[in-house]
Amino acid sequence: MPVRGHVGSDYERLRPEFRVIQNPWAPSERVMLVPSISPDVALIHAIAATEDGMLLLDHMEDDALLAQASRTVVASTERVVSSQELRRSGEGVILEGIHVTALVEAPGGALPTLVRGAYALDADRIREYIAAATDDATFKRYLDRHIYG
Amino acid sequence: MTRRSSAILTGTSTADVARYTKEELMACVVAREVRDGETVAVGTLAAIPACGVLLAHFTHAPRATVIIINHPDYWPFRGGSKEFYDFAQRGKLDLFFLSGGQIDRHGNLNLITVGDHERPDVRFPGGAGAAMLYYLPHRVVVFRADHSPRIFVERVDTVTSPGSTPPDVVRPGGPWKTVTPLCVFRYDRGSAALVVESLHPGVSREELGRRTGFAPTYDGAAGVTPEPTDAELELLRTRVKDTVARIYPRFAMTAFAG
Repeated sequence: MPVRGHVGSDYERLRPEFRVIQNPWAPSERVMLVPSISPDVALIHAIAATEDGMLLLDHMEDDALLAQASRTVVASTERVVSSQELRRSGEGVILEGIHVTALVEAPGGALPTLVRGAYALDADRIREYIAAATDDATFKRYLDRHIYG
Repeated sequence: MTRRSSAILTGTSTADVARYTKEELMACVVAREVRDGETVAVGTLAAIPACGVLLAHFTHAPRATVIIINHPDYWPFRGGSKEFYDFAQRGKLDLFFLSGGQIDRHGNLNLITVGDHERPDVRFPGGAGAAMLYYLPHRVVVFRADHSPRIFVERVDTVTSPGSTPPDVVRPGGPWKTVTPLCVFRYDRGSAALVVESLHPGVSREELGRRTGFAPTYDGAAGVTPEPTDAELELLRTRVKDTVARIYPRFAMTAFAG
């Protein structure tokens, strides 16, 4: 896909898969093409979801795009609701269930990051995570305390 | 415990030392670059530009369209950051802000690596949109909250975003000003280089030279950056501070002198 900018930067040197071509509609211009990203699996967390996988997602994030780009999409959700209730919600964007492979009800599943309207980002927990993640033993203690505990 | 940012050292009187912080001065410099009616966007990790744009919006630029990534009150999109990037690629931004791990004399920005790219001494988070957002917005103000020879270098190790590009590259916009705790550079298109437009109050040419990794060149009319007015400081410490605290709570606690 074409992107503007980039031409003349070191991305041309560092990323050989990025191609620079003549713009076919304006031959005096050079533009960059980059390959699309197609993840095997996407893990995304929804504000709410229906039983058949329709998701209510944060409108400030790129989860809907990520889901459409990925081959397999595993969604977790704060709660499972009826489609009427999902559509009545004023916040967020709706992603149809055709994009979703599997759904898991997991309240608090985004912690220590946030779900707008449900809970805030936990900055202390993120700092704890960063410190714990430097070493297998401390990371295991983090998992035992906060994930499996 | 909250830590106050060190007040700018003007070296003149103790009254000046406490009157404003470097963040407040930089926010006022940024505000003066915002024109009424423009579409102005502020990216992530850009608290000082957010303050400056809001200060302008609350004073001389009430009809500006203000976009602040991650701020729910200043995010006029429903389609995630993709919608914002598409908006920018269409050339719809008048003013945007970028920074760099390294910034060089020619306005090149480095957000990738320092040292050998394969075995870097420093790995920065990456360019994200900076290789596009330095080209499409009509004016880009580069900002950096600290100023040292390690940051302001003769030549960046890796060019994420070049200051200038050949004529056959689509580039309607580009670098405009660079704002630091010591000075304001303007980007001179003719020489493709940063030129000192003003030194902040109390900063000497000797100090700027010592703390910059290239020999600064000066505009013929280079003067002193205007100090924040009392009215600007009052607004920064109330309405602007309250608004940015929503996404920069730590900054809001430390960057303001009052």
